[in-house]
Amino acid sequence: MSEVQVETLFDEFATRYLRGERPDVREYLERAGAEREDLGALLDGFLAAVPARKPTEEDVVLVQARLEQQPPILLLRLRRKLTREAIVAALVGRLRLDPAKSGKVDRYYHDLEVGLLDPEPVDRSVWDALADVLGANVRGLAALRPEPPPALATYLRRATPMQARLMESADAPAALADQGPDEIDRLFTGSA
Amino acid sequence: MHDARDAEDTRLLEAGEYAALVESYYGVILDRSRIKMRREDDAVAVAAEVAIRLLSELKRGRRYRVPFRVVVHQVIKWKVKEHFAPGKIDEVELEDWLRKASTESTEELEAERGFEGLIDGLTELEQEVLRLRYVEDLDFQEIARPLGKEPNAVHQIHHRALTKLRKDAA
Repeated sequence: MSEVQVETLFDEFATRYLRGERPDVREYLERAGAEREDLGALLDGFLAAVPARKPTEEDVVLVQARLEQQPPILLLRLRRKLTREAIVAALVGRLRLDPAKSGKVDRYYHDLEVGLLDPEPVDRSVWDALADVLGANVRGLAALRPEPPPALATYLRRATPMQARLMESADAPAALADQGPDEIDRLFTGSA
Repeated sequence: MHDARDAEDTRLLEAGEYAALVESYYGVILDRSRIKMRREDDAVAVAAEVAIRLLSELKRGRRYRVPFRVVVHQVIKWKVKEHFAPGKIDEVELEDWLRKASTESTEELEAERGFEGLIDGLTELEQEVLRLRYVEDLDFQEIARPLGKEPNAVHQIHHRALTKLRKDAA
């Protein structure tokens, strides 16, 4: 990327920012490629110099979650004053799943909410439904998985590899033995 | 440029709404942390460190003679530095700066902040072009008119100014 393109990216970011938008610095740094540092230096100077914009809901949840040592999605749900049951019911409805399998959706959602489920393979339709219900970019929040509680971390450090694997598999809700993989498994784990 | 924001900060400070005041800066704290950190969780960790420091300062009754935004940006700078080189030296420097900011003349401490501080090292013409572009939100054609220049010439001045800012920042 040339010098001029870095300046074009900066100019685009700065003008959008000053018009009241909240351009994503991560996206611009990504677009700058090898010139990331140069663009970063310009953006950093600019952000330090202009009036700070109101934070987004995601910004607030991310920082508060870290301060309160809570998983970000859980904190967002609590801020919205929504029960887990309400989220699960909305997921079942929006994703047109069998209401009889709400319990399975609940287990997956719980694990996603507290950071026990890898967010990578989760289907886009789940993120879209969650974004609708919770009114925020839930996919972005899920990228930040909470650290395990200190006691669990200590246990995992002390456990033998076999013990750790057994513990992980005991916690996983996926692929219930009695029913086998289905659409719900596919949506939350990418495999069916 | 900062008047409305500074007035709101003063209102929140006087009302003792410290959490709301610090929270109102989460966006820029996170953005500046993201620029410095490659990993999102490091950026969030640094942002949380900044928030903790600002809140603890306010809760123990420290007041500043510089606008609160100046303190915010200084704490970001130090916490990022501390992340890469953990140790007590930066903490001592930060404490010293905060003490000065609460007791001494503000001009020197504030000089490096704000849009004027950012463009300080540029020529008058370059400063004017950036001011019209990023404060007045004008396009190059609109900037050219009052300056009596062709839009292409304004483009070149703009390019030269940003190149200087990049070199300064590096």
